[in-house]
Amino acid sequence: MKKGIILLVATLFTLSSLFAQKGVDIFGYYESQASGAQVQDDFWLLYSNKLRVDLKSSLSDKVTFAANFDYITYHGKTMWNILDFLPDQAVAEVPPGMEDYYVLPFSDRHFLDNAYIKLSFKYFDLTAGKQQISLGTGYVWNPTDVFNIKELFDPTYEQPGHNAVRLDVPLGTAYTFTALFSPEDNWQNSAKLAQLKGRISHFDYAITAIEKVWLFHDYTQFDPANMSFLELPEKRQLLGASTAGELLGLGVWAEYAYNWMENSDDFYELVVGTDYTFNFQTYLMIEYYRNTLGKTDYMDYKLNDWMRLMAMEQKAITRDQVYVSIQHPATDLLNVGLSAIYSISDKSTALVPTLSYSFSDNVEIFAYLNFNFGQEGKAFSKKMGNGGLIRVRVYF
Amino acid sequence: MKKIMISGLIVLLIAPGLFGQELTGEEIIQKVNDQFNVDTSYAKSKMTITTSSGQKRTFISESWSKDKGEKNLVRYLEPARVKGQAVLMLNNADDIWMYFPRTQRVRKLASHAKKQKMQGSDFSYEDMGGGDAFIEEFTTKRLEDEKMERHDCYKLELTRKPDSDSSYSRLIIWVVKENFVPIVIDYYDEDDPDYHLKRLVQSNLRVIDGIPTAMKAVMHNKNDNTQTEMEILEVKFNVTLDDTMFTERELKK
Repeated sequence: MKKGIILLVATLFTLSSLFAQKGVDIFGYYESQASGAQVQDDFWLLYSNKLRVDLKSSLSDKVTFAANFDYITYHGKTMWNILDFLPDQAVAEVPPGMEDYYVLPFSDRHFLDNAYIKLSFKYFDLTAGKQQISLGTGYVWNPTDVFNIKELFDPTYEQPGHNAVRLDVPLGTAYTFTALFSPEDNWQNSAKLAQLKGRISHFDYAITAIEKVWLFHDYTQFDPANMSFLELPEKRQLLGASTAGELLGLGVWAEYAYNWMENSDDFYELVVGTDYTFNFQTYLMIEYYRNTLGKTDYMDYKLNDWMRLMAMEQKAITRDQVYVSIQHPATDLLNVGLSAIYSISDKSTALVPTLSYSFSDNVEIFAYLNFNFGQEGKAFSKKMGNGGLIRVRVYF
Repeated sequence: MKKIMISGLIVLLIAPGLFGQELTGEEIIQKVNDQFNVDTSYAKSKMTITTSSGQKRTFISESWSKDKGEKNLVRYLEPARVKGQAVLMLNNADDIWMYFPRTQRVRKLASHAKKQKMQGSDFSYEDMGGGDAFIEEFTTKRLEDEKMERHDCYKLELTRKPDSDSSYSRLIIWVVKENFVPIVIDYYDEDDPDYHLKRLVQSNLRVIDGIPTAMKAVMHNKNDNTQTEMEILEVKFNVTLDDTMFTERELKK
């Protein structure tokens, strides 16, 4: 491990001196994070260190190259058994002898997160390579985004890159047509996206169509050939729309997507949100989310529902949820906030007090606590583990 | 909503016939408005925030403006924490989009967001917008002339119009008689017209491209006892800017 870090640092210094002469920007951040959760009578702690190094170069007015490399190490409790967090009713579905397969390991990793080249022509931009794909107007949930699922307690954290070829064609100054192809092993399994985005009056609009294979797992069956849970790939076709603008002085946004599934039941997702900044600088946001893949009765939550939620294969286990967030600059450098996530369907709540502090120009500290108040079996049950996270990030 | 522009880009285009005449408040503010709304401009600025505890935070940004401040694009260069973040303001900042490079996400902001402090500074987005805010949002009354910052000044009181959604109930502006530069602006609370929120003082006037320009502006927040200094490092007027510069495509560059 030490050798790897030394090699990485040496490589970075060499690259930085080489690239500096050729106009390549090198920047990024180092992040140290501690998170913890109450599990039964124990309090588990997980520490991580992350170094992200970004390269960006405009080789000419028409050609941009960008990439970032992530190196992450984990320490402390690095093996978490998901069954410890699930209700007894779900654990009872685990086939005998398979208990050990539900362990989530946090292993050190290093990877090329994004690496793409962007060609800018007069009438279009072409971006090829591993790149972030950000879709939709929702803050916590994005029905039209089939590529990413946001962390509920930390929704603004950066999302991973996806291998894709993307074409953006501006149509005047107010409209853009986007076509995206994310390759898999063959054309049929590859993701395709078409989007028309525009502006009418003070509102932004987008219509999005996507076809993508959605990879579910059956967490009650183990596939010895792949040494993983049984994969259940299924084609998903989505047609969605989103908007963001202002109504009666309030910021408003909405996002809707209908999903046609190849085998399972079709479903839809809907987000409606509003926000406002008061004169005393307090910011208030409310977002409602419906996902008909989620259940209305918590007694119907199955092991597969929980596992797909934990594995971030699906966005919700409960059908209707509301996210409320209030933030206030307590001082020039300190922001405090409180978020609440309430499941309308099973009437459970999570409260998340947050804090962000600007320690210096390039150092920030972020922390949150999470408290679940629902009874066992509900989306935000105490058994899910009350805890928190503190993160110090240094930018360079 | 039209915005109250605090830019140091003060243009001197005084009609010779105006000298020596007794101007009304509306005529003076019209002159001020005409002067700082340059057709197009480019500026590189340094913003230094001094907190109540004396700590400092420094930001360097580039900005482009077109159509007399109706379109604005601001892109942050430093510090590394915010590098690449950009703000696009159209229709005199009635429409605002923010771009976050780490998530590559563009977020449309409603007009209430203009009340928020820009990067925690004493300038709000409303303060930094362009356009005809003095004319569109306020009615102007001329008060008795005063000396301010060693300049002979016109003193004006601007009162918010009933249909305005400005965050300020009124402004007191001292305009230098010699060049129509608003050398000092006092801002008053949205709900309490007697509550003095903050004061802007412009200084270091230089002639750039033939145009007198305030190279420094300091906003002092009376309530929080903080201040933000905006220093222009580089400025160009009447540069060639295409409309495509003020689009989401350019915002994400």
